Amino acid sequence: MFNTTNKKVSIFLILLGIIYLILSFRLPKYAYVPVDSDLVPICLGVLLLILAGILYFTKDQEKKEDDERIPKKELPIVLGVIGLIVIYISLLEIIGFVLVSVLFLFFCSMFLGYKKYVINGIVSLVIPTFVYLLFDSFLQIQLPSGILPF
Amino acid sequence: MDVFQGLVQGFEVAFSMQGLLFVFIGVSTGTIIGMIPGLGPITAIAVMIPITYGMNPAIALLLMAGVYYGAAYGGAAASILLNAPGTSEATATTFDGYPLAKQGKAGKALAIAAIGSFVGGTISVIFLTLFAPLLANVAVSFGPPEYFALMLMGLMAIASLSEGSTIKALLSGVIGLMIATIGIDDQTGTPRFTFGTPHLMEGIDFIVIALGLFALAEVTSLILNRSAKLKDMKKIGSLKITKKEYKELAPTMGRQSVLGFLVGVLPGAGGTISSFLAYIFEKKISKNPEEFGKGSIKGVAAPETANNAANNGAFVPLLSLGIPGSGTTAVMLGALIVLGIQPGPLLMTDHTDVFWGVIASMYIGNVILLILNLPLIPYISRILLVPRPLLISLVIFFCIIGVYAVNFSTFHLYILLAFGIIGYVMRLIQFPAAPLLLAFILGSMMEQAFRQSLTISNGSLSIFVTSPVAAVLLFIAFLSLLVPIVKDFREKRKSTK
Repeated sequence: MFNTTNKKVSIFLILLGIIYLILSFRLPKYAYVPVDSDLVPICLGVLLLILAGILYFTKDQEKKEDDERIPKKELPIVLGVIGLIVIYISLLEIIGFVLVSVLFLFFCSMFLGYKKYVINGIVSLVIPTFVYLLFDSFLQIQLPSGILPF
Repeated sequence: MDVFQGLVQGFEVAFSMQGLLFVFIGVSTGTIIGMIPGLGPITAIAVMIPITYGMNPAIALLLMAGVYYGAAYGGAAASILLNAPGTSEATATTFDGYPLAKQGKAGKALAIAAIGSFVGGTISVIFLTLFAPLLANVAVSFGPPEYFALMLMGLMAIASLSEGSTIKALLSGVIGLMIATIGIDDQTGTPRFTFGTPHLMEGIDFIVIALGLFALAEVTSLILNRSAKLKDMKKIGSLKITKKEYKELAPTMGRQSVLGFLVGVLPGAGGTISSFLAYIFEKKISKNPEEFGKGSIKGVAAPETANNAANNGAFVPLLSLGIPGSGTTAVMLGALIVLGIQPGPLLMTDHTDVFWGVIASMYIGNVILLILNLPLIPYISRILLVPRPLLISLVIFFCIIGVYAVNFSTFHLYILLAFGIIGYVMRLIQFPAAPLLLAFILGSMMEQAFRQSLTISNGSLSIFVTSPVAAVLLFIAFLSLLVPIVKDFREKRKSTK
């Protein structure tokens, strides 16, 4: 049942379609609206089920030459970068845009193997500061200033 | 107002000091962004959106036009210098561009690409000036059923023309439409699929999806190839193109400007298909087809001219109907909406200055691109030397700013990350991302048009058939779905024989 990629993907999409349909049917209905808000979602859910059904019986395509699958030894690095992004996002509004961006740029580049610490430091300091000033004074968009006093 | 008067008005805006400055900034940033592998016009425009907040729309458009042309050219530069096409549109340029670079003629190849882009861009903008108003006049008579049929046709065309499996493209489109239903329903005010969180009430912003699916997903491949060495870039060679070469190139550029424009006007076709078509076409009619692939100058000129012409052609449906025909114009539509401009037939009557401003800025963008990039060719090739780890961090950083400046909430940043992962998985299982983005952008418009039509007809679907225009458009949509099925069937029969 799960022996090809298409079949696995198809099953996943069918499950997604079922959940989406259940949620669509539970949308509130109004008495005097000729076309209610659940019509389009229901159509889409059914369409997804039909197409996913067709996909189930479709043969897999041949693999591309440049396989983009992550090799095992690279996996920690990719996950590490995702982890850094999560930390960045969660601290953004607490510590403030400039500080957390400087730290992110520096450590993310270092984590990926950039060894010229001086250049890295300068780039990491200059770009977020410049962007912050650009947004703050030029575009009047307030980015979180966090624990810095300005 | 007639065409000429409108254009003069547009040029007045574009030729102001501020206007020229921003085109200049746009072209140079666009070129830099476009050269970075994986970042093409889509990302370049998306990244620029937060910068245009609060700017005068006419000036912001000039910036966008500059970024757009710059990014397309930057992609060609990466194709020629590194054999690493930034986007699918620049793929055909690698066939002859990279061999030329290996022969130490990178300078010449880059110069031809710049001139080809300029010629293609300029000729097609002239067509755009002439045809967009005509089409807009027709479009004013469109009601909801016609609009729905038109958008459906565009979506189907994208799905059937995209590379790879049609069924996957269609699934990708349906998922895009489903994501568009998240948030408060415009007609009844019912919150749909918000899971009770106020963050989803207004739905998901297109920039979250665009940056996630395209830019962040590309980061993974950048990470995997971060130690790739950049070589073959020592010699650039002379930029000079001889008179004889000009004579040889002139008919190619002329032909491909027209063909590229026509392909671009069709919804769903756009730059990628036109550049491949141009390359094949020129190879077929060439006296020495064996030169192609080994460093033919025509092989660089043809795809570069055609894809710029097609990109402008795609502006015809965007500006006159408000319907994007390609991934790039879809993002452009988003950018215009952020600026408070709703493209469509009324744009020409309600915002003449903006409409002609867009067109004038395209003329100027093209010229600046040529002036700026020819002398800079020896320098821009060095930007490719930005160390990958630094580049990756910066791309992530700009994606995060792009999203945060729209929503001001970290909730949407997590969604951005999720779409980055989804985008990567979609690449792995070979699901095209462009139909998803396009369907998402068209989604709420399509739903409105569909429900308005049904409200008009009191719930009867016959309204889509009784309007002749809608019926024809739906028929074409149906046909475009049949094309790949027939093609598949034929190939299968061939292989079994």
